[in-house]
Amino acid sequence: MTQQANTPVSDPHPEGFTHINAKGEASMVDVTEKAVTAREAVAEAYVEMQPETLRMIVSGEHKKGDVLAVARIAGIQAAKKTADLIPLCHPLMLTKVKVELTPEPEHNRIRIESLCKLAGQTGVEMEALTAASVAALTLYDMCKAVDKTMVISGTKVLEKKGGKSGNWQMASDSSGAQVVSVSGSQAASPSAVGGGVVKVRFFAGLRETLGCEQLPLSLNAEAVTLADVKALLITSHPDWEDALSAKNLLMSVNQQMAKASALVTVGDEVAFFPPVTGG
Amino acid sequence: MSCQIQISVQEAEFDLGAVNRAISADRTDIGAIVTFSGLVRDFNEKPDVLALTLEHYPGMTEQALAEIAAEAAERWPLQAIHVVHRVGRLTPGDPIVLVAVASAHRQAAFDGCSFIMDFLKTRAPFWKKENTRQGDYWVSARSSDATAAERWQEGEI
Repeated sequence: MTQQANTPVSDPHPEGFTHINAKGEASMVDVTEKAVTAREAVAEAYVEMQPETLRMIVSGEHKKGDVLAVARIAGIQAAKKTADLIPLCHPLMLTKVKVELTPEPEHNRIRIESLCKLAGQTGVEMEALTAASVAALTLYDMCKAVDKTMVISGTKVLEKKGGKSGNWQMASDSSGAQVVSVSGSQAASPSAVGGGVVKVRFFAGLRETLGCEQLPLSLNAEAVTLADVKALLITSHPDWEDALSAKNLLMSVNQQMAKASALVTVGDEVAFFPPVTGG
Repeated sequence: MSCQIQISVQEAEFDLGAVNRAISADRTDIGAIVTFSGLVRDFNEKPDVLALTLEHYPGMTEQALAEIAAEAAERWPLQAIHVVHRVGRLTPGDPIVLVAVASAHRQAAFDGCSFIMDFLKTRAPFWKKENTRQGDYWVSARSSDATAAERWQEGEI
């Protein structure tokens, strides 16, 4: 939600705050005219604690139960509530929220990483930050009885994709907001971050029928649906139409089963395969 | 209570006894371990199956199995889940899959094990190719497997 607004109100800070109008009052940015694009944001936070606290969490000895699982769910729930908490934040239809907690015993801390995705008109970094923050607060809440010295730190946005400001990533060794890669999405070219390409893989009988194990597929937009990917494949390989039109064909995006309406963004790994027959 | 989950996709044969011992090592709170092991049959859609080749989607397979196990651990009070699935070439009589589920009481272990197998069959990306006297062919999915997984939908248990 940090993009420049196309509001009719003249902005006193052309390069500044978008949530303040000409009179200096707080206002929600009008995004009605903004294009719908695939958005994605990654944020992180750390909870530092005593080694013994971390050990209890990892070994599952904690009196309140599975701390990591509860914190993870709390983060996901929180992402959905972001618009209720942050006054000028738009309510969003999130299509994906992922929160991961990784114990780092060498640093006596737990690292929280959150990912939020949607196809929409405004960014999702506030949702990602909220998810990471609330997961951190939940960790604190569940462990405060054994360790009151825990410190929540390092809450920040790591990466942002989509929208007018394009792709952005925090420099890995940076102490502040150093932009290491910015690419305008309007000018999405094969040289943009991720190469403008998705990796498509085929398995089992389908791989044999098509005679193809994997191929790079160029996208003409920054994000498309899985159904679009299939259509693009058929356009470039008309003889694949029958095999790819099979009703029971399964599909995945980044190694998660997905439906035809699932969003695919540049850099993703997509796979098509027949119904599974393990066991 | 946290459930210890271990997933392995491997070519090597597994040792059912060793898995059982690993689950109950250094703890005495486990009351039941239910293990299911699947073997390669010498007949399937066609008779005279000579061998089986199992293909999988490295990475996604392990992740799918871990998610299924985590789901079981959320539905029942389970203490440990070990899933071992073999890939590569196997011959009739070979063990192919092992699901071991530990709990304080037997019913949760039975249900958890059954649940994991039902979803492994419909959600984990493995594919079998059978090598028979009549030629090689990819095994097709059975609708009975989909039906078995559907019975775990909300409200059925």
